[in-house]
Amino acid sequence: MNDPRKDNKVDIATRVMSRNDTFAARNHELLRSNGILTLNIISSPGAGKTSLLEAMAGFFGPGLAVIEGDVRTRRDAERVEKAGCKAYQIETGGSCHLDAEAVGKALEHFDLDDGELSILAIENVGNLICPSGYDLGEDMKVGLLSTPEGDDKVLKYPSLFSRIAVLVINKTDLLPMLDFDVDRAVRECRSLNPNVVVFLMSARTGEGVEEFCRFLKGQAELEE
Amino acid sequence: MHELSIAKDMTTIIGRAIGGPRPLDRVNVTIGPLSGISAESLRFCFGEVARSEGFGEPELVITLVAARLVCLDCETEYNAKDFYDGCPSCGSINRNILSGREFTVDSVEFDEGNS
Repeated sequence: MNDPRKDNKVDIATRVMSRNDTFAARNHELLRSNGILTLNIISSPGAGKTSLLEAMAGFFGPGLAVIEGDVRTRRDAERVEKAGCKAYQIETGGSCHLDAEAVGKALEHFDLDDGELSILAIENVGNLICPSGYDLGEDMKVGLLSTPEGDDKVLKYPSLFSRIAVLVINKTDLLPMLDFDVDRAVRECRSLNPNVVVFLMSARTGEGVEEFCRFLKGQAELEE
Repeated sequence: MHELSIAKDMTTIIGRAIGGPRPLDRVNVTIGPLSGISAESLRFCFGEVARSEGFGEPELVITLVAARLVCLDCETEYNAKDFYDGCPSCGSINRNILSGREFTVDSVEFDEGNS
């Protein structure tokens, strides 16, 4: 190690996210050892994350648990609880993303080994930039892009769209009223991420929800 | 805008490496285009955090590295700072990302008066 009293330069060469990554690895180990598939769901505010979770609760029931990240209020947790699954709300108090340490604390509020729980969905704070760099211990990041946001968003936020395993294009019921080019969004996402799995969905009408849930069920069975 | 918490993580890393806060002259960091970090926001937040935590007013020297990509159609390897342009050889946007998520504190420097 350098002695700063002798040298006027000290090499550090440390990844800034390393502290978060340590907590993320701990979460991942805990969740995996209980056979739980964990999703980190990331989108802009209003893209439909909570509506998607309500629809997923209808499919999975108590097999699904949800951690909600929001700057303030338990409103989202109350919505998904009403839809039939257990939810815990993290109020970030102003922070624009969830971090792995906060998720680790939230996990203490669930019975991870009750045998019923197979999928944990973490709804991140609505934001396309900040959450992308913080791994939470998930098996996969799910990026949700809603059609009113525009088909040009993928390459504007490459940090997120290059890291997702699944792209959900939501609000397809609005496509007839918009200029959103589905092929462009998918093509540009694949240009960052050739293996991304894509689902077209309207969480409001239910179109595409079952297909997505069946995919997750298959992934969860691989975990067990 | 999470650069404030990032700046605090940086001073924690630096403090641990040099045995606690002391005035610095330069902090060298590397940022890749897929890190999700805004250099300008970081510069602003790091200045505030460094000063308030006893690290003086160091210059934050940011090296913005390009991402390294490989074209899936013609196998050319190339660098990119954004992702709008395709392969320089064949124009394809089919590619794998080899690197670009870097975000490291590389080193800190003290000038004579502070060492």
